[in-house]
Amino acid sequence: MSVFLYCAICFVVLALVLIVRLVIGPTAADRAVVADAIDVLCDMGLVLFALYSGRGIYLDIALITAVLGFIGTTLVGKYLEGKL
Amino acid sequence: MIYVVYALIFFSAFFALAGVVGMLRMPDTFCRMQSSTNITTFGMIGVIAGGVLYSGFVLHNYEMLIKLLVMGLFYILTTPISAHAIAKGAYHHGNKMIDEAVCDQYKEDMQQ
Repeated sequence: MSVFLYCAICFVVLALVLIVRLVIGPTAADRAVVADAIDVLCDMGLVLFALYSGRGIYLDIALITAVLGFIGTTLVGKYLEGKL
Repeated sequence: MIYVVYALIFFSAFFALAGVVGMLRMPDTFCRMQSSTNITTFGMIGVIAGGVLYSGFVLHNYEMLIKLLVMGLFYILTTPISAHAIAKGAYHHGNKMIDEAVCDQYKEDMQQ
């Protein structure tokens, strides 16, 4: 099932392309949004690699990354709003 | 069944590519936020649906299936919350919309 591996590599390459927007993003909110998107793309790569290798441990890593990305994005949003 | 899984994963790969291109080329913070949510919803839900079908019907590995279902439920619940929080924060922090924008109803609501 090497289609999963190739698609995972495509997602990671897309996440690397997004670093351009992380560098040139004009404001802090842009950088927070792009960091969230990079997080999600790496999660998709991890899920596809778990399906390729048939081992469930990568899904645990993807789940923890999803939880931490959600907490970080929401905290940056509340901080920018001025209520933290 | 394996071709359905491939179709779902190619669907999500197309939407991830469209979201990345939109995120690099959109003119505005709020427009870029729309592309980011595009990546999260369509891309992640496609990959998770494909993974549920593959691990349930091909691998017969039900531990992975339950983990994928929990992950999909978590993404469906938390993507609108984080997008709402960061949009509100960006608006109050002073990010301007593009000049071609025609209405700002959040400002009108705050003035009432």
